[in-house]
Amino acid sequence: MSATAAPMTQDCLRAREAMRIRAARPDLAARHDLSSYDGLTAARSDITAEGDTGSSVAVVLRSFDLARWVRDTCVFALGVEPRQAADWRTSFTRTVFLAGNPEQLRERFRFAHTAADGSAAWTAPGPAARTASLRRLLKTFDAPARLPDRPDTLVEIPPGPRPPGRPRARRDLYVATAECTISEALVHVNHVLAEAVLDGHIAPGDHLVVHQVPRIVGAPARLVTVRVTTEKHLPGRLKAAAGLTEEARVA
Amino acid sequence: MTTTLSVAGPRPRPGAVDRPRVLLAPVTITPSKPLTPSHLKGLLWTDVMYRATRPLADVAYRYSHTTYHATEQTLGFWEFLDRSRGATDYGDLTEERIGELYVAFRAAERAPAQALLPYAEAVERGWVHPVSTRVLELWSGHYAALGLHDPGLLRHQPPGLGLEAVLDRLTALGMCLDQREVGGPVYLDLTRFGLPLRRLVTADGRPNYLACALRELIPLAPDFDELVLLYDHELDSDYQQLERVLSALGPRVRRVSVGRVPIEGRIRSARQGGWQGLHAGTLIDAARAEHHEDAVRLGMRLYFIAVLGPGWQQSFRSDLLLQYVRRAARLLDEAGPATDRPTLSDRLARHRKDHVYVDPYRLTSRLLGRRGAAPAEDLLRGVFL
Repeated sequence: MSATAAPMTQDCLRAREAMRIRAARPDLAARHDLSSYDGLTAARSDITAEGDTGSSVAVVLRSFDLARWVRDTCVFALGVEPRQAADWRTSFTRTVFLAGNPEQLRERFRFAHTAADGSAAWTAPGPAARTASLRRLLKTFDAPARLPDRPDTLVEIPPGPRPPGRPRARRDLYVATAECTISEALVHVNHVLAEAVLDGHIAPGDHLVVHQVPRIVGAPARLVTVRVTTEKHLPGRLKAAAGLTEEARVA
Repeated sequence: MTTTLSVAGPRPRPGAVDRPRVLLAPVTITPSKPLTPSHLKGLLWTDVMYRATRPLADVAYRYSHTTYHATEQTLGFWEFLDRSRGATDYGDLTEERIGELYVAFRAAERAPAQALLPYAEAVERGWVHPVSTRVLELWSGHYAALGLHDPGLLRHQPPGLGLEAVLDRLTALGMCLDQREVGGPVYLDLTRFGLPLRRLVTADGRPNYLACALRELIPLAPDFDELVLLYDHELDSDYQQLERVLSALGPRVRRVSVGRVPIEGRIRSARQGGWQGLHAGTLIDAARAEHHEDAVRLGMRLYFIAVLGPGWQQSFRSDLLLQYVRRAARLLDEAGPATDRPTLSDRLARHRKDHVYVDPYRLTSRLLGRRGAAPAEDLLRGVFL
């Protein structure tokens, strides 16, 4: 996948979104003209209409801290089995976020990963039916507050088996905070991280620096993974909600 | 995070006597409308339970309107009246008229949480809007006419814990999920018992009636051996949650659900109105036009407890109610002294299973039994009149 160096123009955002859809679902790319906004919208509504049919992950959240959660999201995604990863990738790393306390649930449910402080837990990717009873017991995570302001934060992915010959890398994760609730930021950042991990852009031992910026405009750096979403107040236009830069060597 | 689930026995009391301690805690009725047949049924049911259990145990009957004024349906009603009517004398409004205003409130758009704050704060200091004082005064009259024990309708009875304090207690019990930090709600979390997450405080800060019930009952529970929760069967899932929390504090918790009374086959909510001619005031007046006070009191209990029973299958029938008032008058004529019978306590104690409280349905139904001898005066006086 080629990274973008150009400023985040509408053309560039459409191209990135088309690339994402084509990579996961070539069949959708064949059905729609992904170079146009309308074609992208039609492809997205096809994906939405598929509902619960594909593979998905349920994340249970007791409390939320962006940097801590970024780290655990990567740890979880790095542990997903290749077969499950392929299905989940085809479903656009679909994820539901639920309010709940993992500590209270561990006797009844199996989680693939639980944060060390018990603040969050992840189910393995699979058919939605597998998490039906968990979803019945819990409620959708409702976090309408804005992301609390914070300085740039270094997140260290714990060491583990690395692809041969791949040096440890440092990347920047940008999160756009303007007009964005915590609930929305979760969705955006989760897709960026999950896809980056499954595509091999994040490996054990890597470093991520989390930057909260009002908007991802101009060209902060070359982005390897970008979350494209629609503008709330500008019909027909797209924006970047979160993005991960190309790597720099860890000194 | 570690959680603790302390299962303590009931708190010991100084100079303990042998009698078990029982707390009756029925769900309260929002003082914003007339008392419907469903409400009457619950009140009569609780009253018979209270008076029949008293000879056998130390019984407390907790029924605090103060506790539940803090819920949105009450605060919202008051705010709606003041916003839409301004200064008004509520002192001579009828229950029906106030009920109509309540129906209008439920049909109107909700006020923002901010608008309810002054009311919520005033309630904590004991303030009551005159519209609800008026309703409670009218209800007090019905209580007196029906011989119902008044658990303090007009008294200031604040709950023992504030909202933050009760959330702290729940957190200590490992039963609270507080997501206010991300702008979210506070939940009662009994998921470890397989019960679904239940919201207690909305994201914009409004506590619901379950939060109010916990503020009241958590501090009371450790002082009792048995805690009886009486409620509409429609609230069953919430009361299962309440039972879980309160059981962890010591007492044996008994849930007694009492079915509502359908009107012409339909169970209606009071927010929809439809009580014309069918509320406590009119029913009492109609019965008293033909019968003396004791017959009305006993007849109401026979009908609402023994005839309608714990379920919700039979629709309300005024004619049948009056028929049982007549039957009550005959029973009262036949009643005699309890000579050659076991003591009243022993006779009452039969109407129990493994619980301390006396079952009102079993006790009241006995009065209608064909084989039964004439009812004893001490039972009628002590429990039914």
